[in-house]
Amino acid sequence: MKPHLLLAFACCIPSSACRDSGAQEIGRAVPPRPVVAAGTGTALAAAAPNDLAGRFVSHPDHIQPGMVAVPPGLLLRNPYEGNAAAVATGAKLFVSYNCVDCHGGGGSGAMGPSLADGRWHFGGSSAEVFESIYQGRPEGMPAWGSLISPDQVWLLVSYVRSLEVNKDVTTENFTGATVERSGH
Amino acid sequence: MSLFRHRDAIAVAAFIAALGVSAGCARDAVSERAVPAVVAGTSIAAPHDGAPGEWPMSAGDYSNSRFSTLSQITAANVKNLHASWTFSTGVLRGHEGSPLVVDNTMYVVTPYPNVSYALDLAQEGQPLKWKVRPENAQAAVGLACCDVVNRGAAYYAGKIFYNLLDGHTVAIDAATGQLLWRTRMGTLARGETMTMAPIVVHGKVIVGSSGGEMGVRGWIAAIDAGSGKEVWRAYNIGPDADIKLGARFHDPYSTDRAPNQGATSWPANTWQQGGATVWGWISYDPALDLIYHGTSNPGPWNGAQRPGDNKWSAAIIARDANTGEMVWAFQPTPHDVWDYDAVNENILVDLPIKGTTRQALVHFDRNGFAYTMDRATGEVLLAKPYVPTNWSSGIDLRTGRPQLNADKVPFRGKKVSFICPSLEGGKNQQPAAFSPATGLFYVPTNNLCMDFEARDVAYIPGTPYIGGNAPEVAGPGGYRGEFMAWDATTGRKVWGIKEQYPVWGGALATRGDVVFYGTLDGWFKAADARTGAVLWKFKVGSGVVGNPMTYLGPDGKQYVAVYAGIGGDMGLLIAGDVAANLPYDVRERGSTLPDLARWTSWGGMLFVFAL
Repeated sequence: MKPHLLLAFACCIPSSACRDSGAQEIGRAVPPRPVVAAGTGTALAAAAPNDLAGRFVSHPDHIQPGMVAVPPGLLLRNPYEGNAAAVATGAKLFVSYNCVDCHGGGGSGAMGPSLADGRWHFGGSSAEVFESIYQGRPEGMPAWGSLISPDQVWLLVSYVRSLEVNKDVTTENFTGATVERSGH
Repeated sequence: MSLFRHRDAIAVAAFIAALGVSAGCARDAVSERAVPAVVAGTSIAAPHDGAPGEWPMSAGDYSNSRFSTLSQITAANVKNLHASWTFSTGVLRGHEGSPLVVDNTMYVVTPYPNVSYALDLAQEGQPLKWKVRPENAQAAVGLACCDVVNRGAAYYAGKIFYNLLDGHTVAIDAATGQLLWRTRMGTLARGETMTMAPIVVHGKVIVGSSGGEMGVRGWIAAIDAGSGKEVWRAYNIGPDADIKLGARFHDPYSTDRAPNQGATSWPANTWQQGGATVWGWISYDPALDLIYHGTSNPGPWNGAQRPGDNKWSAAIIARDANTGEMVWAFQPTPHDVWDYDAVNENILVDLPIKGTTRQALVHFDRNGFAYTMDRATGEVLLAKPYVPTNWSSGIDLRTGRPQLNADKVPFRGKKVSFICPSLEGGKNQQPAAFSPATGLFYVPTNNLCMDFEARDVAYIPGTPYIGGNAPEVAGPGGYRGEFMAWDATTGRKVWGIKEQYPVWGGALATRGDVVFYGTLDGWFKAADARTGAVLWKFKVGSGVVGNPMTYLGPDGKQYVAVYAGIGGDMGLLIAGDVAANLPYDVRERGSTLPDLARWTSWGGMLFVFAL
């Protein structure tokens, strides 16, 4: 089910961003890993059994045993890359889907980890953030791919990726700003 | 601020010593910091009745007094206290709660993953008798609103009982470490986690859930200690049958006996996501055979989505200890729109009030008022602000209701500024203590205020159901916490030690007239129970959010123990690192306590002190 959803989205999204070459990547390839892991879609069945190339989202930090060449991964591309309107829409979705009350105002962190500190448990590339939202993560991050459209996931990715990352500072220079937050 | 306070206190102590007079006389001499005579005629309703050197439940006794009759450590000799031994729990998250000591064994429960340890106090080096790491779903970590804390265990009849963050209660054989049962009580997928410390009454383990920020429907339940089977479960909101409200129910402030007010005081079916969880402390009065518990804030915070009193959220409830039947209920904050949970501990003491000894219940509410109540009837005898409070001008004793300041009532789309206290409350989970030797309550408090902006929020199971932003700042005076002594017969502060940060750890009172508490910046302190003079302090390895306890070692010596491990709802946001889950991070991030990272870092240590 989900692979088709994703592919369908990639082919018919009406935004201008979708028409640029970046958006082609997602429609061209076999489904990304979260999709493959979820079942055996026709796209997977059609692939040659030993040809793993392109089936996995590319994670630059993954270790390759034996230091062999990195198998080519699927390049999930955000169709809204550089689209300021998408960032603004994503910011609204971030509130509507209650992301804000887990990850804090401006993604500053609260119940869930900060999205604005430049530290990523599961990678901070657009593709990796897409995966985290779409399939969820073990420590309580819901798998939103079951509830919202891939288009909306990309809008959220656009917003999260737009958050400004604080620089390293010496402890003596901590000044702190008041943040939105949750309590018991 | 706190330095000045200490200096003053030391000066007073020196003055007293120089005059060679008793503290009582000196109090008259220095009226500015005058300490009244001991409040006479007070007593703990159900003092700890086991061996005096043991600590079998999180609060020490059923009354939640956190008072110990041990008296080797006194105001005169506490300056000689030193670290005796330490133990690392292996977990770097907020260490609320305290260890237990029974039969020369110390029982420690960690934050998630809720490992438990039994340490053999009778042997040098306190070797482990056993260690248990129950199965505990990892997803719970992201569903807990306010760090992955655990507030402690209960010992009963050779078993240790505690809750797992993922919504299970476990029983462990205290001698062998064998996991006896593991009962699922909460539904994690709905956002129900468990953090509170159980108590055991009549062979039943009483537990409740967390999740008031997740749109859950709060409950309290009893589990058979032997079999692990649920005996009863009472919701706190919904129809009468569900909340166990029947013929015995008595509302001291209303004669309206319309049925199902736990549902009808909410629009439509909103009570089904209305919060009112039981994540705080439970006390028990054996004479009345009643248990007392609070309930959390109603959900969501945005009150525009739930007009009405929202019974029985933000309430103090008395229930029959055997059946869970509701006997009385009282809402300190009806239709709460400030996140003023009423889950803070209910301390059961007998107090002289206006010439009569009353069966009292003393409760320092999140809403900034200290309530002295009749624990048999739920009637409020006295309610006074114990921290700077501006959302209400006072409590009307004829109705029990707060008189609201309209300027400080949040509503959808209206940004309200500088409400005191903040959503963290005048006090939060950090429990107060009571000493019958002084007749005073020892209260760790916050001095924080907030802006509040409510917004509409959709209920999506498994995600937060909040609908509000509430940035916080220091309250009037600029200090952010105070450890104070409180006279609950008159409703006034007797002394206070101002702290730079909210005092997020609990209090311990002892017969030696020494009280103990820890601070977020990592000081463990001993103060004179009568004067508030800080007599001793020690810099522990991390900020303290736990509750000190004391026990008698097998060598006959009195020990004092406390966890050092910053975290919990306030410690969660220590500057720089916590929310990123990276204790070694060096990046600045917003916080109400921006400079705290200069004083402390994550920890997970038990510190034990002796003379």
